[in-house]
Amino acid sequence: MNTPHIARTFPRRQFLRGAGVLLGLPFFEQSLARGATPAAPRRMLIISNNLGFLPKPFFPKTAGRDYELTPTLQPLKDVRGEFSIFSGMSHPDVNGGHSAENCFLTAARGPTKSGFRNQISLDQFAVEKLGQLTRFPTLNLGVNIDKANRSLSWTRDGVLLPAEDSAPALFRRMFLQGDPAAVKRQLHALEERGSILDTLMDHTKKLSRGLGSDDRSRLDQYLTSVREVEERLVTAREWELKPKPAASRPEPADIQDKKLIFEKLDLMLAMSQLAFESDSTRIITLMVDAFATPAFKLHDEENTTEGYHGLSHHGQAPDKVKQLEEADRQQMVLLRKLIQNLAAKREDGARLLDRTMVMFGSNMGDANKHDNTNLPVILAGGGFKHGQHHAFKADNNKPLCNLFVSMLQHLGVETDAFGSSTGQIEL
Amino acid sequence: MPEFPSHFHFHRLLSGLALASSVTWAADVPPQIEQSCIECHDKETTKGGLDLTALLFDLKDRSIRERWVRIHDRVEKGEMPPKAGDMAAENRLALVKKLDAALYDADRAEVLAHGRGPLRRLNRDEYEQNLRDVLQLPDLDIRDILPEDREGHRFNKTNEMLDMSRVQLTAYLDAAEAALRAAMVTEPAPPPVMKVRVVGTDLFPGTGTFGNRESMFFARGDKFIDWGKLDKDAVRQGATDDSIEMALFRSASWPYIGNPKGILARHSGHYRVRFSARAVLQQADYVLTPAKQPVPMTFRTRKPAGADIINEVRAEGGIIDIQPQQQVYETTVRLKVGEAIEYSLLGLPMPLAQNPNGSGPTYRYPPFPEGGQPGVAVQWLEIEGPIPPSTWPPASHRVLFDDLGIEVKPKSAAEDAKRLLRRFVSLAAREPVSEDDLRLFDALIAERLEKGSSFKEAMLAGYKAFLASGDFIYLREPESADDHFAIASRLSHFLTNSRPDARLSELAAKKRLRDAQTLREEAQRLIDDGGFDRFVKNFTDCWLSLRHIRRDDPDIRLFPEYRFDEYLVESMERETRAFFTAMIRENLPANVLVKADFVFANDRLARHFQLPPMTGSAMRKVTLPEGSPFGGLLTQPAILKVSANGANTSPVVRGAWVMERLIGQPPPPPPSSVPAVEPDIRGAKTIRDLMALHTKEKSCAGCHAKFDPVGLALESFDILGGWRMRYRGIEEGERISGIDRAGHDFSYTLAGTVDPSGKLIDGREFQGVNDLKTLLAANPRQLARNLLHQFTIYATGTPVRFSDRREIESMLDACAKDGYRVRDLMLALVESNIFTGRHP
Repeated sequence: MNTPHIARTFPRRQFLRGAGVLLGLPFFEQSLARGATPAAPRRMLIISNNLGFLPKPFFPKTAGRDYELTPTLQPLKDVRGEFSIFSGMSHPDVNGGHSAENCFLTAARGPTKSGFRNQISLDQFAVEKLGQLTRFPTLNLGVNIDKANRSLSWTRDGVLLPAEDSAPALFRRMFLQGDPAAVKRQLHALEERGSILDTLMDHTKKLSRGLGSDDRSRLDQYLTSVREVEERLVTAREWELKPKPAASRPEPADIQDKKLIFEKLDLMLAMSQLAFESDSTRIITLMVDAFATPAFKLHDEENTTEGYHGLSHHGQAPDKVKQLEEADRQQMVLLRKLIQNLAAKREDGARLLDRTMVMFGSNMGDANKHDNTNLPVILAGGGFKHGQHHAFKADNNKPLCNLFVSMLQHLGVETDAFGSSTGQIEL
Repeated sequence: MPEFPSHFHFHRLLSGLALASSVTWAADVPPQIEQSCIECHDKETTKGGLDLTALLFDLKDRSIRERWVRIHDRVEKGEMPPKAGDMAAENRLALVKKLDAALYDADRAEVLAHGRGPLRRLNRDEYEQNLRDVLQLPDLDIRDILPEDREGHRFNKTNEMLDMSRVQLTAYLDAAEAALRAAMVTEPAPPPVMKVRVVGTDLFPGTGTFGNRESMFFARGDKFIDWGKLDKDAVRQGATDDSIEMALFRSASWPYIGNPKGILARHSGHYRVRFSARAVLQQADYVLTPAKQPVPMTFRTRKPAGADIINEVRAEGGIIDIQPQQQVYETTVRLKVGEAIEYSLLGLPMPLAQNPNGSGPTYRYPPFPEGGQPGVAVQWLEIEGPIPPSTWPPASHRVLFDDLGIEVKPKSAAEDAKRLLRRFVSLAAREPVSEDDLRLFDALIAERLEKGSSFKEAMLAGYKAFLASGDFIYLREPESADDHFAIASRLSHFLTNSRPDARLSELAAKKRLRDAQTLREEAQRLIDDGGFDRFVKNFTDCWLSLRHIRRDDPDIRLFPEYRFDEYLVESMERETRAFFTAMIRENLPANVLVKADFVFANDRLARHFQLPPMTGSAMRKVTLPEGSPFGGLLTQPAILKVSANGANTSPVVRGAWVMERLIGQPPPPPPSSVPAVEPDIRGAKTIRDLMALHTKEKSCAGCHAKFDPVGLALESFDILGGWRMRYRGIEEGERISGIDRAGHDFSYTLAGTVDPSGKLIDGREFQGVNDLKTLLAANPRQLARNLLHQFTIYATGTPVRFSDRREIESMLDACAKDGYRVRDLMLALVESNIFTGRHP
């Protein structure tokens, strides 16, 4: 395991105001020593809409720099130089229509096969390699998400990590600072939890003696969990000592109505930006659970004629296709807004966008026919040279994991392989 | 036995899969495979994505075995090879027999070696209920602290889906902490009891509400009181005037505030509500006359927040039918700190507010019914609470600290700690915990004391650790030896979603649960017990997706009569749960799944079913008139709602839904290697046209013929299960216009006629839903088999395995003579080896 460490200093004044009185000097020295010359932070946000986009109006016809913006991409016109588009990519053997949605960041093969177990997702893999650099090693978010059954984020054991779908709850986790007494209580609770976990570890080891292999593997999951909670207690303690950053906006109101899927996405993207700006985390995953979305609001007064899933099986019926085209474009409008907002924000003189990779994609190439090949993928920011359409073969797709490897390397992870990768993508 | 041909080996070598030298191919693969199957399922053709030349006959491998089970099943059913001429009947029989034997042996061997299924952790409902029972806190709310559980085979009790992660473990610890804190008290006495009585103008927050006089007024002597003509003091004086009645005539939907004045809970708990009321009719000029029918009402609790519903709203106190004769009603509501109660009338209209350009609002109702608009008049209301516990400190506190009182002052910390821990564990554990294990928790408590924690906090740390330990969190498969405690836990979690009660634990300790008679009696006892409601709720929530019954709002352009009809949706839900309860408690035959000559109905559902009018909200069993299309789960509104979306019905979706859930023959997933056919429905007009296009492709038609027909017969029911002869549209057809129950104009059209006829895959034809019911009910064994499969997953966490099938069939044999009665099926499962883990 990597030693957890704190890479970034926080504003000194805030430190003195918030924690100095309470904590005394040793921590201060420690943070100075560690944060003296921080490397520029690299960040990653990956968004997936689990029903994807209509392929025809999405993919440009020609490859390279001079491709013509398609109807769906039209809203991105003003930021054309800030993103690249990829076609002809997919995860080999990740098929079975909707079953692929939990594999978008894991690339685990055969999700419909019996005995299938998911694998570690890209975000968790990155954290394993990088260690915990921020208060939250990753944030796993969702819009309209069926939290029990869907997530982009999976542990090494292939266990689902549930998504956060409440913007105000996320906001409070990031910014709500307890008073000194609350911090003290929390530190005490963490310390007590350490003792409890030690006991649980000893108890479970005894319990697992004499069990069959299936039972033992269940208990191994439990032991792994005990160990992981214990490891995180160390960093949780360090972060508890450190005051939370100040928020640049008030706590947002919650949006619960599933009809307002795009308002919710817009809010979650704003929260993501806030998380990056405050360096609360550097890795975010966000699933837009279109599958779980009933008839939704397209325009001010107009709802779609049926639920998102029903629409996605449009059978080329013109009225359904038209609604989907509009839904796809609205998401591109939100992506443009995010790109522009990230570009407008400066961090140490650099554009936040240049330090943040934003991927918007899907596990679904064509939801009308449950096709999981030729996935739609857009990558913006991160300081790459953008403006291109990278076209790979439609009938012999490039593994999407190749792009993941390039992104991991850009994040600072030393690896040349992830999932089903066979190489990397030159960006 | 003929030698396996050489090209078989050749292909296997090419495919690079011939790795397992231990697999004895030539000897084990039945020869009929080569004779009849390879032509379509070899490396070149791979029809349906199956290349038999690359599929090892290594039945020890679970995933390979499951593929061979699928092959076995399709051959047995005669679906493969598709043409009868491709395999002689005796060859088919021989192949099925051979595969059956090999699969049984392999699966059986695995069960004997590793058990039927692994440990399973408690899901969040079970964890909460376990703690409610342990701590004697029936209202404990900790479920939302735990992440939602993944579902497998539709149920939230499936072993392989109930994983553990750092997030899950942290949540168990947090939930245990919250539960223990809720169990403990620090005050010297229970919270003071508030007692408030309101009459007259204090019965409502104002002298009017949204919807104007038509929706609410105060009356004296059956006549409206016009406050405008009186001075302000009159209203204040009215607060003590018990000759004034408060009359309400609209449904409690937003925006609505209607709480009696001056009632606000300062402490959480149960409150007793008594009130005097009568059902009335509103006549012209706001005159009250006695009603002809009772009017159902309930209370809603929430923090008062003006017209906006921004706080949690709960229905409390149950549904009360207010009778035309004035009388006193009593109920109990649960209030949290800061909450008040609102009147909530069910099934009444609600007005449309119109305020063009920001002018003052005016309201519009649908035309009131002939004879007057029903409503409720209230004379007085009393509330008293929180109802104190029978002892102080309450029972929950004593579970933790026995007789150490509110201060929790031990005589000797070391000794009391050991004593209290043992006492707590004996109350909380589902089986005895060894002294060895207890010492681990002793050590934890001692460590906390050493580190300066108070005695109370140190004890809580020990309890928390136990409640998050593997012993508490996991349920175990009963082992073949004397494992009475695991049987007790399995039985109680099956039938009450919680831990064994005292009697069951006692029988386990006395090792009585291997006795078939005792086990049966215990199962019967739990089925008749109040905790059985939790089984009904959770089982139908999962199996029939009842928890998603409010997922899609009806499209009010097409179905204006359903606008804001929450009472209908609630009644639908209650009907299905009542019906399912009756299936078990009244031991009804399995074919009531698809066909019955009765329904459960109340006043609202009687209208939905086009039955003679009924009064009152309670669900009663009603015999249906001859020829009614209702009766049986298949045509229950709740089922027809969750299998449709809010706007339209799809025979494909409903057909697949019914085949999977009710019949137990789920459509196989579309094979992944078949080139995807892009559905193109342009040019199709009617649903029939759509279906024809949909099934034109041969690769689709084969499967769709299995489930589409059932859906076609169900086209006679709209999105909420209402009977229909014609589809509705917006543009073409005969126009129907009016004002709906919420004051909106509506205008839809009656379009094409519904054609509910069709043909099942076996060739039997039906003209409509009643024909279909007869056809489906003719195979009660399959319906019963499906129920047994569903019960098995739910009760054991593991779906029916191949080696379980023989026992399932023998249970069916035993239940056949009485027509496969549902409680009999359940009891048969409880006594089976599948359930009790015996290996005869």
